[in-house]
Amino acid sequence: MNILTKRKIQNKMALSLSVLAAAIGLFWLFFILWDIFRHGMSFITMDLFTKDPMPPGFKGGGLRNAFVGQMLITLVAMVIGIPFGILGGTFLSEYGRHSRLGRFISTLSDIMVSVPSIVIGTFVYAIMVRPIGHFNGWAGGVALAIIMIPVVIRTTEDMMSLVPWSLREAAFALGAPYYKVITQVVYRGAATGIFTGILLSIARVAGETAPLLFTSFNNSFFTTNLNESTPSLTVTIFQYAMGPYDDWHGMAWAAALVITVAILLVTVAGRLLIKWRYRN
Amino acid sequence: MNKTIKLANDRVLIRVQNLSFSYGHVRAVKDISMDVAKNSVTALIGPSGCGKTTFLRCFNRMHDLYPGNCYEGKILMGGRNLLGKDVDITELRAGIGMVFQKPTPFPMSVFDNIAYGLKLKGIRNQTELSHRVESALKHAALWDEVKDRLKSGASGLSGGQQQRLVIARALAVEPKVILFDEPTSALDPISTSKIEELIFRLKEEITVIIVTHNMQQAARISDYTAFMYVGELIEFNETDVIFTNPDVKLTEEYITGRFG
Repeated sequence: MNILTKRKIQNKMALSLSVLAAAIGLFWLFFILWDIFRHGMSFITMDLFTKDPMPPGFKGGGLRNAFVGQMLITLVAMVIGIPFGILGGTFLSEYGRHSRLGRFISTLSDIMVSVPSIVIGTFVYAIMVRPIGHFNGWAGGVALAIIMIPVVIRTTEDMMSLVPWSLREAAFALGAPYYKVITQVVYRGAATGIFTGILLSIARVAGETAPLLFTSFNNSFFTTNLNESTPSLTVTIFQYAMGPYDDWHGMAWAAALVITVAILLVTVAGRLLIKWRYRN
Repeated sequence: MNKTIKLANDRVLIRVQNLSFSYGHVRAVKDISMDVAKNSVTALIGPSGCGKTTFLRCFNRMHDLYPGNCYEGKILMGGRNLLGKDVDITELRAGIGMVFQKPTPFPMSVFDNIAYGLKLKGIRNQTELSHRVESALKHAALWDEVKDRLKSGASGLSGGQQQRLVIARALAVEPKVILFDEPTSALDPISTSKIEELIFRLKEEITVIIVTHNMQQAARISDYTAFMYVGELIEFNETDVIFTNPDVKLTEEYITGRFG
């Protein structure tokens, strides 16, 4: 067989295998999306967003409490996780880059990414729920922040390391002190990457259930007081899906649909923003 | 046998005295003594790896950014040793600009690139900023090409324009000296000639030290030339002398292209 035909065949084989692999991945993604849409769509009503749950056996009601609770918990996680993550990543990429401590923290943070989220849940339970004596929303936010921090650290460090050293040198050569080089030149160069990392980390924690089970737990009533147990969509889905009532199942589907679409929108919005920024 | 000339005191801006520099255990610059004349262009030539760039980066102490380096000797400017412990490095660098081999526009607009150094100096007044940005761009012969796109990103400029932008940015803060590290080696011939003309004009107000691989370039634009080889300064003289009648055999061999 001539070498050119052989290469063409090899090329075709590799191409079909990779297309197949991509198709398998996409198949499950669309299967899940379709299933959630099919079951959840009919339960999406105005009441879902504006009303709180009714006692079992009563018709109607919604999940307003869980939407608001989820937002509050995620907000707490963001307020803690984003600044710590960015500052930590900055330390690793700039000040700590030649030090042993820096490399040690970097490795540790990578290990933290793969710690099972339930372990983090139980850890926060031990330090923020047990001593207080009851579940609370703050603990949920902290648990999610702990999951978020290493993700943000990793992307921040990577994105800042991608900014060429020549650019920093050029800023130093103009007489800029290091903190100005970082905040005015390196952050600008790495901004889109860091921003994507933040969005991905939000998407990651917004779908977590296990760490919330031990911390914020759940609440059937509307609350904005994070000192008491705070409802969240994921834990609500877990509880309703396991429950005995048909309308609970329906609401669980609807909640799953809403949270999936929300995470999808966050991700898509992030991508669009990046595209838009690069065009300008 | 090394051969260097001494310049008359009143013409000297920078006096390098027995400068050595090492990275860890590697001695990259060995015992260099040399004068840099005020309002002139001094070229550093020599084969790759001879320490030209390392020597150049001693003047604005760029090496201080990296651990494990050691200076010996002195670089005197206005009676002050630039390598002294008491020197404020950010202030030193504001007075000695640098342009690198590859253009280094910051990820911001053309205007903000030039204004960056000015803002570092504490200039906040918008009218003064616009005025000085315009004059720096005119100085670098870039104004006509960018005056309608000051607000758009600097990365949209061509390589040659970017390099002139970077020169304008260095000029805007009015340094006494600008160090050029092979500023045209990544550029096409037309951009190169524009930058050479620019450097040639610059010496009316500024002192230029330039590292170049291109000997024709050194011959065209410099007043003094230093030939370096494996970290040592072999010969330093007026450019005409170096290129027509060098004293040292090694210099002659390098210039006539027998090695390097």
